[in-house]
Amino acid sequence: MPLVNNKVGDDCTASGDKALADGRALVDSLIKVVACYRHLASCVGGCTDSLQLRDELRQTREKAQKLAGDICHHLTSHLRDKSLPEEQRKEMELLWVAFSSCLELLHVDMCKVLNMSGIFSLADSATLVHTGQEGGCSEVAARALSLPDLNEAQAKTLPASLESQERSTMELEVNQIDRMIDDMEMKVNVLRWMVEPHGPQYADPLSSTDSASMALISVDEEQQAPRSQPLCPRSHIFVLLLLFGVFLVAATLSVCVFLFS
Amino acid sequence: MTIKNALRDYGQRYRPRMACLRKAEKVLLEMQDPCAGVKSQPQRLVITIIPHAITGEDIIAWLADRFQIDPQEASSFGSMLVALGYIYPLQDHKRLVIKPDTSLYRFQTPYFWPTQQWPVEDTDYAIYLAKRNIRKKGILELHEQEQYNHLHKWMNHKWDFIVMQAKEQYRAAKERKKPDRVVFDCQERAYWVVHRPPVRKHSQKLPLNNFVEVFEHDLPRPWHSIFIGFKSKFELDYSKKSNFVWASFLSEPFTCRSKIVGENLAFWEGCEDLKWGTAVAMKEKAEQIYKTFLARGAPRWINIDGKTMEITVKGLKHPHRYVLDAAQTHIYMLMKKDSYGRYLKSPVFKETLKKAVNPEEHKFNEVQLEQNARNRRPSLSPIIIRQQEQEQRAKMAASAPVDITQVMSKLSKQGKEMGPRHSK
Repeated sequence: MPLVNNKVGDDCTASGDKALADGRALVDSLIKVVACYRHLASCVGGCTDSLQLRDELRQTREKAQKLAGDICHHLTSHLRDKSLPEEQRKEMELLWVAFSSCLELLHVDMCKVLNMSGIFSLADSATLVHTGQEGGCSEVAARALSLPDLNEAQAKTLPASLESQERSTMELEVNQIDRMIDDMEMKVNVLRWMVEPHGPQYADPLSSTDSASMALISVDEEQQAPRSQPLCPRSHIFVLLLLFGVFLVAATLSVCVFLFS
Repeated sequence: MTIKNALRDYGQRYRPRMACLRKAEKVLLEMQDPCAGVKSQPQRLVITIIPHAITGEDIIAWLADRFQIDPQEASSFGSMLVALGYIYPLQDHKRLVIKPDTSLYRFQTPYFWPTQQWPVEDTDYAIYLAKRNIRKKGILELHEQEQYNHLHKWMNHKWDFIVMQAKEQYRAAKERKKPDRVVFDCQERAYWVVHRPPVRKHSQKLPLNNFVEVFEHDLPRPWHSIFIGFKSKFELDYSKKSNFVWASFLSEPFTCRSKIVGENLAFWEGCEDLKWGTAVAMKEKAEQIYKTFLARGAPRWINIDGKTMEITVKGLKHPHRYVLDAAQTHIYMLMKKDSYGRYLKSPVFKETLKKAVNPEEHKFNEVQLEQNARNRRPSLSPIIIRQQEQEQRAKMAASAPVDITQVMSKLSKQGKEMGPRHSK
């Protein structure tokens, strides 16, 4: 008897773990897509706004909605299952909090894009604000859609009447997200403030070889910052390396001059 | 909290602010017009070149020309656009003013334009700080660090999400080209400087006007009348000592209830001073406040509940800026609900209010009258100048229709000339 029970118990926890892992993977994807959507949304109304950008926004939004629907279904069904073990319920609730926060971010960004696309029409490109950006966001969209490269040919075949169709579609989608949020609140009663996160307070600095762009901004900041603040050690090393390189080149040149003279 | 809860602020400030923002947006779209707008130039950052930078002097010249105003007014208007967040400085990014020199600025992307419809969310700020923490390898500024810790405490339940979203936004940014990444970072930074400015630290006592503003924002409007009533009395003190003089205000002959209000106000002011003052003087101030207001048998003992007192006294052993927060909140709530209400009904307050609304005529003595006569400017009273302007406006309105802006600028120029002309 006990063996059978254990086996059943193992199956339960195994399937529960799998459900958790699936849920986690889905929520991670949604977080990634929403982050990319924010980058794309920040270009609307600026000088890099184009039909291509609007199409990328549409595709990213559709992916986000599909993921949101899947996660909603997944989490709701598991959280309403009363036989879910306590530990797994806590993890599910954590995922639920992350999912609802993500959905709220997406909702705000969608509303902003809807509003801005109404103000900034692509037909009148003179009104697009010169923000200083020049490149597009195709790579970001490709990341959101998990594609190696976005097919640019696809964008060129878009009809010119896309804008008005887009607006009505977007309005519907915004309302859909709104209803999803409401439904979730009604069906599942998760006390958000009771949920305890696992992660650290500070995100680990990612292994970034991206000191270059940060150095550009920090050069700008440090030019104006009062000297009482110590310089960022990273840019300090960068400057030292640069000087050392220059010194090496000068030394080599002087040796050459000496040898050839 | 879902989006629906936090949508529109239809309060007193909604409509005027929205009208102001719409006008500013129209001006901004004109400014960035490639043909008739402010002329732009590229910005050089080491080896990267980023276009569409504009100088402060060009902005001021364009505004002065467009609206036919003088450079000072154009500068104020430009600074307003910067303070609202439509234009951001590329150098000295924390100071939201237009400098009339070659300092560079850029137009903010519409995504970060101020709007009443989507309130600035703390979740977004937390994500931004987390991203900044990743980029700067844990070196945040002091006020950012404080905010980060504060947000971590009260938004703890979604912290995993915040950190993950910050990481994903950071990774997504790396997909973009370097100049665009730099521009986006500057845009985001500028947005948060406008909406979450670094906290000002006062190294001296707050002057009267700041205090009135603080009170107007934090407390119900009738507070304002207390200061109006006593303004004439301690404006004199203020001008003598250049310090905000609570003592003169509170040494007025109050009734018992008024005294309680006075002690509470003084305590409140002490807490604010501790919060915004220099770090060096913090320990001393905390001790002073304890001796004056909290200790047993203190000269100006305030009545707070036992638990709050216990927490506060315990915290004062290792004082920091926010050690008196609990007591301050308690006093504020007490005043709001209880003693302030009673004070409003007291005869002292009613008399103060009467004096504020209908101030007594100031009785000058002969010496003062002589001094005033000597210091008087030899020009027309501004009231008479205004009346004359109004008469002229009425005459112009009655005559043939002309371009209003031309008329107004002519009138204002004439008004200015009249002053010095009569002094000759």
